[in-house]
Amino acid sequence: MAADQWYDKNGVWTGSATILHDGKIVMLYTGSTTEGVQVQNLAYPADHYDPLLVHWVKYPRNPVLVPPPGIGPNDFRDPTTAWLTSEGKWRITIGSKINKTGIALVYDTKDFINYEMLDGLLHAVPGTGMWECVDFFPVSETENNGLETSINGPRVKHVVKASLDDDRHDYYAIGTYNDRNGTWIPDRPNIDVGIGLRYDYGVYYAAKTFYDQNKKRRVLWGWIGESDSEAADVKKGWASVQSIPRTILFDKKTGTHLLQWPVEEIDSLRLKGKEFNQVRIQAGSVVPLDIDSATQLDIIAEFKIDSDALEKATGSSDASFDCATSGGAAERGALGPFGLLVLADERLSEQTPVYFYMTKGSDGNLKTFFCNDQSRSSKASDVDRHIYGSLVPVLRGENLSIRILVDHSIIESFGQGGRAVITSRVYPTKAIYGAAKVFLFNNATELNVTASLKIWQMNSAFIQPYPNL
Amino acid sequence: MTKIISLFILEAVFCFTFFTVSYSDINLIQTTCKKTPFYDLCVLTLKSDPRSSTADVSGLARIVADSVNAKAIATLNQISALLKGVKDPTLEKALEGCIVSYNTIIQADIPVAIDAIEKNNPKFAVQSATDAGNEAQACENSFAEKPSNSPIFSGNKAVHDLSVVLQSIASLLL
Repeated sequence: MAADQWYDKNGVWTGSATILHDGKIVMLYTGSTTEGVQVQNLAYPADHYDPLLVHWVKYPRNPVLVPPPGIGPNDFRDPTTAWLTSEGKWRITIGSKINKTGIALVYDTKDFINYEMLDGLLHAVPGTGMWECVDFFPVSETENNGLETSINGPRVKHVVKASLDDDRHDYYAIGTYNDRNGTWIPDRPNIDVGIGLRYDYGVYYAAKTFYDQNKKRRVLWGWIGESDSEAADVKKGWASVQSIPRTILFDKKTGTHLLQWPVEEIDSLRLKGKEFNQVRIQAGSVVPLDIDSATQLDIIAEFKIDSDALEKATGSSDASFDCATSGGAAERGALGPFGLLVLADERLSEQTPVYFYMTKGSDGNLKTFFCNDQSRSSKASDVDRHIYGSLVPVLRGENLSIRILVDHSIIESFGQGGRAVITSRVYPTKAIYGAAKVFLFNNATELNVTASLKIWQMNSAFIQPYPNL
Repeated sequence: MTKIISLFILEAVFCFTFFTVSYSDINLIQTTCKKTPFYDLCVLTLKSDPRSSTADVSGLARIVADSVNAKAIATLNQISALLKGVKDPTLEKALEGCIVSYNTIIQADIPVAIDAIEKNNPKFAVQSATDAGNEAQACENSFAEKPSNSPIFSGNKAVHDLSVVLQSIASLLL
């Protein structure tokens, strides 16, 4: 869609599609007007039978929504997919803010042209700033499939997600939706929207979900930006990618987290795989894994640790470990770090560790952190060197598990079945193409670790022109 | 007599008004600069631009953006001059890389930041300012001689630090 009308001249921005009862699609999107005011506009596919929906027709009397009283002209964007209320109306939410409180406004409509704004907000969280790309969807507490956006009921929870403008991260919270008054409350206010869990602890923003009615799954798609300089991006001629799509499920075991997992279609890119069983990694060692090329990989690894060592480890009252402020994979602790080194060269002059780090509190409680360390990922002078990660719940009896998708400069890592996910961009200068390798490592001081893993070479996806374009 | 008195009163009112405008704009400069990591640099840069006396936070951001641009252009000229006489291939490579970085700052980062400030889309200004700082840092990092500084250290530092100031002020507009 081109920015060719006064109501979107300064930008055709984010929009969401809704599938109507008759199977037709409508698109609501934010336009930035000639005056720079954010408004919502309606558009329809020119040809409902075009599988690629290339051409669109804008509703002649746009905009259909303008910032309401009390909302700033630059704080009104990214309408969601609509869902049905019990009264049979369509309902959408739009993120905004009042001073520094992030909010979600609610509108009901029958025709996507005329709207009534509800008096109350869907939800608000002080101090979180502007909520961009708000998403709102149901998840089943019991079933292993996604739910259509309008579903509601007893064993259903609702997720509110917001992209925070102030820190460029995507946050979500699980809670209960009240259809009657269009409000939602979090299950755990201490991890409310914007102050608790994130979809991804690395580079991942403006993510949205959609419901795939064919495979009954809720699919998440996010934007992965670059972590190098714009100068480098201009040189290479492109910037930013969309992540491998992920399915989203409610984590029944913890009840507090969502699980993300790469869509099953990615498995079709697997070429030959190699298994490594019960590889023992002594404390303070690095084990090379002999696979051929290591730039396009799917790695599924499980780590077993000595429960004796966990018992014996002395707890410390220093409960302040955080991946971001730690010394990365080079900082040795009693019970960590250990994991994998990807996009590493033979001499380990460049390496990106993806790993677990366990700590034991003075109360004896174990905490597990899942981190991705970019500090030695590249010799280049213009790349990001931060360490990403977060706490990840590990339940009794669970082994530690990691899945990693490696694709040259993109690493998507899934801890504990997708309970914590970290995406990072790295730009090695030596650990590239044939020189890239994978290693297991254990830099803990008091722990021996045993790893079992399978590593597949990944083919490149076949992107072919769609016939009859 | 009344005329003189009214003139006197008018003058007194005018001076008083002038005084309050001066006081409040310095106050805005101070409170804004306190929210940046380089207070002195921020205050100096803003005070030396006459526009700051009537600027709001958005206007102050614009002034800093213009200052980053000016410093970047000056540093780019310095780099070009150094390239003319360079013999050492390592130094030449670093300088050529810096040309690319500074062209990015001047042709991409600053114009986007200024446009974003004008159109009230501060997040693009924050992003561009962050990149400008990173470009200057990357340029400085690319010189082999450590721990001593590069031949254009003061230019890189000025551009870097001012970019951070710009990023901080633009963040206030989010």
